[in-house]
Amino acid sequence: MSISLTTLTERKNLWPWLLLAPLGLYLLLFFVVPLVDVAIMSVTHPRPTLANYQRVFTGALYQYALINTFLTAAFVTLFCLLTGYPVAYLMANSSRRAAMLILVIVTMSFWTSFLVRTYAWMVLLGNSGPLVAFLGWLGFEPTPQLLFTRFSSMLAMVHILVPYMIMNVYSVMQKIDPALIRSAESLGAKGFSLFRHIYLPLTAPGIANGCVLVFVICLGFYVTPVLLGSPREQMIAGLIGRQIDEFLAFGMGSAMAIVLLTVTLIILTIYHRRFGLDKLWG
Amino acid sequence: MNLVLRLLGILVVAFILAPLVIVVPMSFSSASSLQFPPPGYGLAYYKAYFNDPKWLVPTLNSIIIATGTMVLTMILVVPATFALVRHKFSGKGFADLMMLMPLAVPHIVMAIGYYSYFGDLGIVHSHIGVILAHSCLSVPIAFLVLSANLKGFDRTLERAAQSLGATPSRTFIHVTLPILRPGLMISALFAFIQSFDETVVAIFISGRDAQTLPRKMFDSIREQADPVIAVISTLLFVIVLAAAGLPLLTKAIRERRQARALANAAGLSAPH
Repeated sequence: MSISLTTLTERKNLWPWLLLAPLGLYLLLFFVVPLVDVAIMSVTHPRPTLANYQRVFTGALYQYALINTFLTAAFVTLFCLLTGYPVAYLMANSSRRAAMLILVIVTMSFWTSFLVRTYAWMVLLGNSGPLVAFLGWLGFEPTPQLLFTRFSSMLAMVHILVPYMIMNVYSVMQKIDPALIRSAESLGAKGFSLFRHIYLPLTAPGIANGCVLVFVICLGFYVTPVLLGSPREQMIAGLIGRQIDEFLAFGMGSAMAIVLLTVTLIILTIYHRRFGLDKLWG
Repeated sequence: MNLVLRLLGILVVAFILAPLVIVVPMSFSSASSLQFPPPGYGLAYYKAYFNDPKWLVPTLNSIIIATGTMVLTMILVVPATFALVRHKFSGKGFADLMMLMPLAVPHIVMAIGYYSYFGDLGIVHSHIGVILAHSCLSVPIAFLVLSANLKGFDRTLERAAQSLGATPSRTFIHVTLPILRPGLMISALFAFIQSFDETVVAIFISGRDAQTLPRKMFDSIREQADPVIAVISTLLFVIVLAAAGLPLLTKAIRERRQARALANAAGLSAPH
């Protein structure tokens, strides 16, 4: 043994850094640098000023998109909670086979490309689709336009995001000790009161998790609102895309991107402080 | 309360299932436009897909890019995960957070960054550009899956091998790797799927030369909602179900907790 104890410990300290180095370098070059590039463009394109940010916060079009994005994300989160909670409840409180079947359906939805799901909604909500036909049969004359509205893009977003809510709430519900419910019942709690005072608070961590995840993903949604939404009611991501695609306005696009990124990171940081970010993704 | 929640739950499950169910019959439709239910059935759209380079070239591009992404991601993530799970060092918390950061940034923000940066580097509209971009987005997913596996690794097996005289490298090749193989495979599969499914960054940087399948689908839906998409949807659906769904589901029966982590990680790659 010619290696002294000090060189051995030094080696031990060096080893993890050697293992991390390739990825660290890669992330620096292809994650950090592009982001810094966006930040720089936001204050230098086309001229070095803060004018881009001023326009983002004061221009009517941009203000409207910002408000619309937050409202949409809030409503989508709310609807995901209202629809996802019963599914999680159903999974946690049915036979093992039924719960498995629902898990399979929800997982299948996860695994299906969201472009496929977006396309499916175009078929379902289109003017020669089954929903419009049904409304016509009910006597709506003329039949309402469903596709390319705020309704259609929100419906598709809820559909895409509700599995996240279900998984998060279900994982908490699964761990609830049935003895807690029984003892509450034995003390006289029942029906809505049992739900309101016992079940709901017990599932709160799952609700918080699901809501943060859904809200944050929804803020950055690009494809679904662009394809299914109303062209007049854009969300930030769609507007950013148009700035680059149509107007080649990289400064404006970057400024909006930085605003979107900042808001997302603030929400996630608050969440990280309270719960830990690694909890968010299971 | 109980009954109301249950009924609502069943309705929502039907809502989740509905779009998946209509795509398959749509692919066999004989209608020339979006129409449901289809007026008749046939294989016309399957013929259209398999005979059209406009669809086959993007499919091939996507396979090339997803394979490249998978290889690059694994080369970078495997050693890093070993470092983060098995070693304690100052700065570990920061390194952990950095691994997850690409998940926190909306794809549209990365898309602008890559568009301008790769333009400067001269690799915009190239396969290599898309691979470099997609790998960044795959890193957190591959890391989450692999680190979960590595944390559950019973290290007494390695110690046993070494006590029997195996060198560290032999132990790694003959003990560590075989045990980790399922985890490595799932991790690689997720990196592949993440890239195969990624749309937003691909829309902005893949250009005409490296156009991916999701990008082509996006353009096609935006322009005219070509019914060929139903064919691709059905094929993707069948492939995913066969390749990933079934093994995952049998695993899910055995180990529910892991199934949840996997499903969550799978979902991560979907939207944006």
